[in-house]
Amino acid sequence: MFSARFSPDIDRPLLLATLLLTLIGIAFVFSATSMPSASAEHGLYLKQIAYLFLAMLLGALIAAVPYRVYEGKTSVLLYGIGLALLVLTLFIGHVGLGAQRWLGWGPVKIQPSELAKVATVILLASQLADRKKDWTQIKNLVRPVLTAAVPCLLVLKQPDLGTSIAFVAILFTMLYWAGLPFLYLFFMITPIVNVALSFFTPGWLLFLGLLALILYRSRIRLLPLLLVVGVNLIVGIATPQIWNHLQPYQKQRISTFLDPGADAYGAGYQIIQSKIAIGSGQVFGKGFLHGTQKALAFLPEQHTDFIYSVVGEETGFLGAAFVACLYLLLILRGIKVANRARNRFGGLLAIGMTSIFLYHVLVNIWMTVGLAPVTGLPLPLLSYGGSSLVASFLQVGLIQNVAMRWREY
Amino acid sequence: MRADPIALGGWQRRERTLTIAVVGIFALVLLRLFVLQVLEGSRYRELSEENRIRVEVLTAPRGEIRDRKGRLLADCVPSFTVTLDPFDKAYARAPARMDSTLRALGPILGADPAELRDKIQRERKISFLPIRLKRNVDIKTVAFVSEHRDRLPGVQVESEPLRRYPLGLIGSHLLGYVGEISDKELADPAYGDYLSGDLIGRMGIERRYEKLLRGQDGKRFVEVNALGRKGDFLGEKHPVLPKRGTDLTLTIDLDIQRAAEDAFEPGARGAVVALDPRTGEVLALASKPNYDPNEFSNGITQERWDELSGGGNYPLFNRAIQAAYPPGSTLKPFTALAGLEAGAITAGTYFAQTCTGEFRFGSRLFGCWKHDGHGSLAVHDAIVRSCDVYFYQLGLRIGLDRLAAFMSKLDLSERTGIDLPQERRGLFPDQNWYDKHFGPGRWSRGVILNLAIGQGEVNLTPVKLAQLAAFLANGGTLWKPHLIRSIGSALPRSEAPDDSMSRVVAVSERSLDTVRAAMASVVSDPQGTGGQARVDSLTVAGKTGTAQNPHGKDHALFICFAPVESPRIAMAILVENAGHGSTAAAPIARKVLQAFFHRAAPESAAVLTGR
Repeated sequence: MFSARFSPDIDRPLLLATLLLTLIGIAFVFSATSMPSASAEHGLYLKQIAYLFLAMLLGALIAAVPYRVYEGKTSVLLYGIGLALLVLTLFIGHVGLGAQRWLGWGPVKIQPSELAKVATVILLASQLADRKKDWTQIKNLVRPVLTAAVPCLLVLKQPDLGTSIAFVAILFTMLYWAGLPFLYLFFMITPIVNVALSFFTPGWLLFLGLLALILYRSRIRLLPLLLVVGVNLIVGIATPQIWNHLQPYQKQRISTFLDPGADAYGAGYQIIQSKIAIGSGQVFGKGFLHGTQKALAFLPEQHTDFIYSVVGEETGFLGAAFVACLYLLLILRGIKVANRARNRFGGLLAIGMTSIFLYHVLVNIWMTVGLAPVTGLPLPLLSYGGSSLVASFLQVGLIQNVAMRWREY
Repeated sequence: MRADPIALGGWQRRERTLTIAVVGIFALVLLRLFVLQVLEGSRYRELSEENRIRVEVLTAPRGEIRDRKGRLLADCVPSFTVTLDPFDKAYARAPARMDSTLRALGPILGADPAELRDKIQRERKISFLPIRLKRNVDIKTVAFVSEHRDRLPGVQVESEPLRRYPLGLIGSHLLGYVGEISDKELADPAYGDYLSGDLIGRMGIERRYEKLLRGQDGKRFVEVNALGRKGDFLGEKHPVLPKRGTDLTLTIDLDIQRAAEDAFEPGARGAVVALDPRTGEVLALASKPNYDPNEFSNGITQERWDELSGGGNYPLFNRAIQAAYPPGSTLKPFTALAGLEAGAITAGTYFAQTCTGEFRFGSRLFGCWKHDGHGSLAVHDAIVRSCDVYFYQLGLRIGLDRLAAFMSKLDLSERTGIDLPQERRGLFPDQNWYDKHFGPGRWSRGVILNLAIGQGEVNLTPVKLAQLAAFLANGGTLWKPHLIRSIGSALPRSEAPDDSMSRVVAVSERSLDTVRAAMASVVSDPQGTGGQARVDSLTVAGKTGTAQNPHGKDHALFICFAPVESPRIAMAILVENAGHGSTAAAPIARKVLQAFFHRAAPESAAVLTGR
């Protein structure tokens, strides 16, 4: 029934990459939980297969409905549902950390932040699709910025820094695609850079000098210029002041929050073990199911956040590079679809969904090879987890939706 | 619905930029994989097969605690701890091996293998560190572990500083002790930088100054091979060296502390708090019965813990700050002061009714402790001989409102703010309090009679009483008692008083003199109740107290300061269920005063000329 509606323009490389990654994921969830010491997790790959069927069904459904339906009011509704789930999570999380077990959420727990990312992209695409607006005007940027900021802050409160930054990454990619000059995006992140550098005076001065030079040469309008200068000045001066007035325990909380690895011996240890696992795979790997590091290093995360190190250990450089290339293919096809779409909403939708993949894949893989801190983000399609898998298939489904209807304006 | 050529054109350029960026980023990933797996792969293969990288925590020694003369009260000594790494390869391959390891270790560690197993199961979820099975093991155990290394995979002997209290029982409540952090604390973000098995200060100075004393643990990554040999794991960051905790010098004088603790009869329960009335420094703070904090450093059994925290005597309970008692007659000097200040009496006021051993109020008879009566007397003799009937009448004349107002100026219902945890609040009730607890109109005005002699609902901690004694001694300053003389290598606190540490209560010099003269006579006058506190060639001012106790024998109390002319020490003494203050508490004061003045004799001349 459905197949009749799927157009021949469906993006086949994208479909292939998605399915291959998913199958590889199930195989390595099996491998990562196959050791005798992980007896409690032995059946997880079966669950992952069950999630896969659900994910494929939902992905196909969302692809079958012409994407224009999601624009406008529907996008607001979906976004509202996403936010409601996030708020609910905060509320239930507050009632009791230990209470979740008793409520029997356990295996069917959903992670609303995964779905909220998809909903936020749809609403952002809908807002930015309005081509009558001049997207270089500050007043026009208020709405999309707020749209991303609300879920971002809600997730930050959980707290999940990695996922909340995802909203920022998505917003910036989509603004770039919508036509905002790169320079503007740079200006938007300057206050954040400012905060980070304000404790390191030479770096801060260098940054201010650079900023002044760029501002001088950019010839932007007076109002935005004043805004950039003002915000940066205030932030730069206020940050160390505020910091110095904080109580030691408050400082401790903030630094733990920003860098969870700093005070937990566990995180630094995980990175080292992950590097040993991947490195010891050498060119051809130790063979499927023959990895040894997985048993000792990452419990209980070897089948979720650290699945890529199991891939690297057991299949070596060839396997790890192959998986990385599949992700590259998936993301490049996503960009291609976004570019091909004639409809502005469709293009933005596709690029937004692609940006979610891009951010997650990069942060997760960089973490496992020791280039990024431990953030707790899953590797889409590979990591064990129903919410992540369903969200990934919704994203692919929406990209395919746009691919199939690229001709439509 | 219409094509937008400009937007599409823009997308073309953007697609190219974005594609190049994404390909570049992935190229970086591939490069990194190439370096790790192809170039450095053989090194990592070696690490994964033969060796194990693990984190070793370098525990920071806690800061030392010394008395005001630099004598050691707490330090750290090296000790051996047996640890087990549950992530050892042997256990990953065959989890059941853990049981045989624990069975082999159980007897020599004197621990139940099942309990050790529970501990491991719990702690391995929290961090990747080796788990401490037992602290402070002897050399026999160390030898056993190294001999049977092949049978005990992942078991190591690590060196760790052990908290030691060289004086044992002396000053235990004041110092507190250290123990392993609880799971409940670990779940609290305020203890975010603690790991399971870490030591944390409990009670006393150890708790209050935990942040200073603790220091900062270091860590290093080490390679451990099958033979247990270690080496620094190169290619990672340098070891983070531990930072020793900050040393503390207390205001405590060990000689006085010791004298105070030794002055108690064996088995007695009570407390002594001695302050320097000029500075608010705590010279001694003792609580009996005491305990040996060293017992906690090694880890304590549940039975022993139950014994210490209960056991009828509650040895862990710090009676000097955690218990409040009716002050009894030790409150009379303050009632007298309230009367003089309120103008209710003068030094020469005699009440209409002389003491016949009892006093009728309404239909109730209130007795004097001396059943045959004191006759007619003014405030001086009333204090010296502790006449209850005089104070009943004084209380009535002042009235509850004025008396409560005066006592609240002395913060009787507040904590002193001493820098020790868990200080209890005392109470001097006022009208509102009675209305709230008994209901408006449902309490008798007769409560004032009891309050005036320190009975009834009023209760105070020994440290509060000591603060009040110091207040009389120094002529009107309420000091926040404090225990820290200097932190780290900083110079001792300057003599200039810090505003936040003291508060001057406006009372006239004349009233104070009246009360102080009376208190001097309490000790020196043959008719006084405090003769037992007399010390040769020293003028002592004091006041005895006997607090009625509905649960048993009366509590004995005594407050004092000396020398009267320029006081250098002020004290409160409490002995639970010991009977009369004059016979049970005053002798303890004498012994402490002897220790203080005997030793400090040469200094006194300078102090006298200085003030």
